[in-house]
Amino acid sequence: MNRRIFVRNSALASLSLPLKLQGHPLVAHGMGSDLVASMDAAPGSFGDRIVVIVNLTGGNDGLNMVVPVAEYGEYLNLRQNIAIPQNKLLMLDGVADFGLHPALSGIRDLYNDGLACVVHGAGYPNPNQSHARSSDIWMTGTAADVYENTGWAARYLQHEYAGFPVGYPNPQMEDPIALQIGFSPTPTFHGDEQSVAVNITDANQFYQLIGEGAPGNGGELPCCDAGDLVTYVRNQQLLAVGYSAEIKQAADAGANLALYPASNKLGDQLKIVARLIHGGLKTRMYFVQMGGFDTHATQADVNDNSIGVHANLLKTLGDALKSFQDDLKMQGTDHRVVTMTFSEFGRRANSNGSRGTDHGHCAPMFVMGKALKKFQLGTINRMTEDLVWQTPGSPTSNKFVGMQIDFRRVYTDMLNDWMGNDPSDTSSILFQPFSTTSLFRNTIETVQTGPWTTRATWSTGRPPLPAEQVIVRPGHTLSIAQNVTMAGMDVQGNVDVAPGVNLNITG
Amino acid sequence: MSLLDAYVSPLTAEQAAHLLRRTTVGPTAAEVDAFMGLTPQQALDLLIGNNNLVIDPPVNLDKDAPAFGQLLNVAEPFLGTEAFDRLQSVRFWWMKRMVDTSQPPSLLEKISLFWQNHFVVTTLRVTDYRFYLEYLQLIRSNALGNFSAFVKAITINAAMLEYLDGDANTNTSPNENYARELQELFTVGERDYDGNPNYTENDIKEAARVLTGWRHVGYRAENSTSYLVEFRISKHDITTKQFSGSYNSTSIAGNNTTNAGNIEIDALINMLLAHPQTARFICRKLYKWFVNPNVTPAIEQQVIVPLAQFFSSAQNNWAIEPVVRKLLGSQIFFDISNRGAIIKSPAEMILGAYRYYQVPCPDGLIDATGAQKYLVTVQTTMRNQLMALTEQDSVFGYEPYYQASQSKGWLSSATLANRYAFIETVVKPTVTVSGTYKLGADLLTRAKNWQPNFSDTAGTPAITAEFVVTKFLEHLLVFELSASIKNSLIDDVFMAGIPRDSWLFEWNRYRQTPTNTDAVNAVKNRIINLNRYVLRLAEYEIF
Repeated sequence: MNRRIFVRNSALASLSLPLKLQGHPLVAHGMGSDLVASMDAAPGSFGDRIVVIVNLTGGNDGLNMVVPVAEYGEYLNLRQNIAIPQNKLLMLDGVADFGLHPALSGIRDLYNDGLACVVHGAGYPNPNQSHARSSDIWMTGTAADVYENTGWAARYLQHEYAGFPVGYPNPQMEDPIALQIGFSPTPTFHGDEQSVAVNITDANQFYQLIGEGAPGNGGELPCCDAGDLVTYVRNQQLLAVGYSAEIKQAADAGANLALYPASNKLGDQLKIVARLIHGGLKTRMYFVQMGGFDTHATQADVNDNSIGVHANLLKTLGDALKSFQDDLKMQGTDHRVVTMTFSEFGRRANSNGSRGTDHGHCAPMFVMGKALKKFQLGTINRMTEDLVWQTPGSPTSNKFVGMQIDFRRVYTDMLNDWMGNDPSDTSSILFQPFSTTSLFRNTIETVQTGPWTTRATWSTGRPPLPAEQVIVRPGHTLSIAQNVTMAGMDVQGNVDVAPGVNLNITG
Repeated sequence: MSLLDAYVSPLTAEQAAHLLRRTTVGPTAAEVDAFMGLTPQQALDLLIGNNNLVIDPPVNLDKDAPAFGQLLNVAEPFLGTEAFDRLQSVRFWWMKRMVDTSQPPSLLEKISLFWQNHFVVTTLRVTDYRFYLEYLQLIRSNALGNFSAFVKAITINAAMLEYLDGDANTNTSPNENYARELQELFTVGERDYDGNPNYTENDIKEAARVLTGWRHVGYRAENSTSYLVEFRISKHDITTKQFSGSYNSTSIAGNNTTNAGNIEIDALINMLLAHPQTARFICRKLYKWFVNPNVTPAIEQQVIVPLAQFFSSAQNNWAIEPVVRKLLGSQIFFDISNRGAIIKSPAEMILGAYRYYQVPCPDGLIDATGAQKYLVTVQTTMRNQLMALTEQDSVFGYEPYYQASQSKGWLSSATLANRYAFIETVVKPTVTVSGTYKLGADLLTRAKNWQPNFSDTAGTPAITAEFVVTKFLEHLLVFELSASIKNSLIDDVFMAGIPRDSWLFEWNRYRQTPTNTDAVNAVKNRIINLNRYVLRLAEYEIF
């Protein structure tokens, strides 16, 4: 598939001429498996792959984490009292329109090494500004008006490991299917009846405390809710006892090979995760959590906006993620692990008078891993079209960072392309189908009819880069009104090229 | 018959235990016996009558302070270097009240725990102990008072102004933090029972404007001997505030007098309380706390709605005590389906066990070192089980009280491990409080006290294995164990497979030689094994 442009027969008729093809032949091409084709030698089997979820609680201020540079003046106007000075921003290789908070050197290094993706404007339609409700929406993986008790990850895991926890552990899966570092079970892992995850804070201590003896027998279940609760506790006891030895074994067999930052609450948790992965625990999903992001007041230092409370939080985050990824690489497990961060909402674009920020809508997520094929989804927030005004027209109106990428599209890619789940099952797990973001694909594809330059036309939420292979999906018409460059094009739908326009195929 | 009708029959032991488990962190067996036979109304008279609001101020439990073991003097100059330990002293003061068995059981601590987790202010954020003590006292003194007055007081409470940024809310730069939580968490609730939103985003903005102009002065001010809350008209938004149809399109006129703060807040609270969902939201939360976290549509219609009507009626006018009495004395409260319907929080698990086994906290004025050791250990243990007292992660309170998993949220495999660890310290105490007193249950002495004429081995028969097991189970679990399980406890756990009569020989040998290590260990280990087994049962996790 080198140096060629693919156009389906049916689509040829719609191409406006003349087409300058830079000497490359135009061939017809059936609907192939572009996913399989796009995966460079799929690493290991799907069953070995792991997702690590990093939850930043309180609502992270995305606009001070990933800062617009091209429109710095507009950014400054929104939040003079907390704005990061432009000369302190960390710039990324090949990126001119935004920079990272100066505390995020870890993320910068990961990005420059091709190991991190910035998902701009991640959120969901009709955002809710309540901490509890919005984190439920992210964790249960629903639309804003749908109330669901089970977590999105639990629904996937109970689909993949049918019947869990009944009949587990078993020879096919002797380890916990999900594991959370921390005491409080996350709704993300809440299954039909109870959490599908084992919660630990320290693998050896856990084993010591739980021991191997079977739980006691209290006899017949009492009636009503009490019976339900006793069943729940008994199941937790069985899970804990059933898995404590496996977890200890993995912790004993595994080791941390990279250096982690001292006194880093997130690093301490990821360290345990890395050690268990290295020790061979077959757990598929991990969940860790870090708090403190609800920065209503004094989020930056009085004398220097680049340091202070939020800076410390971001440093903890960036340093921890970097060490974790280094560790996985040194262990040789980095091809099996993808990590993603999320917060229940972003903070408001305009700061408040307390040198803080109130609850907002969207914010970037970071995704990290060797398997990534895309390093930006969406674009840096545009200070005009991407800001939602609470009171349109009023200069003093509150302004919110609008949505570019629905978080459920990232979940979709995690399940389909990373975990190898059947796309139609993923649609039921997430209650509706979502288009890919191409996060794990070499290609970039249309998700709706539209012009080349419109972000929403594309799976990635941004137009193709010169090195990217483009697919125009059936039913979509891609209009191209100016010269464009791409590695190649597979036209399964229609392409409408304006007269005199050059399509430069570099593939 | 209505579910809210008064239950009037004399209480059985199980019903007395149910009432005491829900209204305290956990009763002693003697308290259950004392409440047996009372009518619910008599029992509630006692539980409420025993509320003691006039209690000693906190004792300074800062080990390094010159005033260690003396009453904490809030009029002393504030010193940043001593602030943390004094804050600890304030938290310890409250914790000690909950675990105290020297006073008759009262509702006050359990309902204060409820309100502190409703109008949350945390010591993670508000670290001026004077602010926090005043806040806790406000919670306690209003806990059974008038809800309307309670909301007003908490809105302009110094600690709350600091916690939810009311202090930073001014006409030129409004801060919405308090205005949001006031509606979402403190009064109307974000949504009604059917999931419809109760207000709009703009209502938050408007409420924030009503609340502009208040601040506290003196927070953590070095060497200050007092602090205050004040209203500044110059920082107040004097324009009209217009609310949505959710609040009947109420508009609150801007006021430009020095009393504008009070006038507009009163109007705001009247508006919030006039919202039909406010009374339901509070009654539902009380029901979840005291009766059952699972509110079915039938309960909503037959309990929450009428209780809310009563709460907000002209006759009751937002008095809290009559509502709590009605709920706790109702048919539905005593219905068997609500027995054991909640998983114990760390307060019920830890403080409840210490009350049941009568593991007292020393009086700080007499044994400050012991009191400090006791309370700091309890604090750590509670923290390890997810309930760091006054240190909630957010204004939502402790997670299991608001997350969908409800009380199940207390129990993950991680907290289970820590609950097991705690149980181990109950049955085999290791931490020395003072002298020979170790933090945990003195199980052997309990058993010894059940033996009549302990030293008279010849004349008074030994208490039997059946008797000992029965006594250790007395009012301990919500539901009586079946005869077969109880037999298995005696034979398999307590006697570990040897004949029951062997216990009589072992016990008499202990009576004859009570200082002989082998004699002591023979009976002690059986007792420890029995209690460890029972406390680790899933049945012990519910209340």
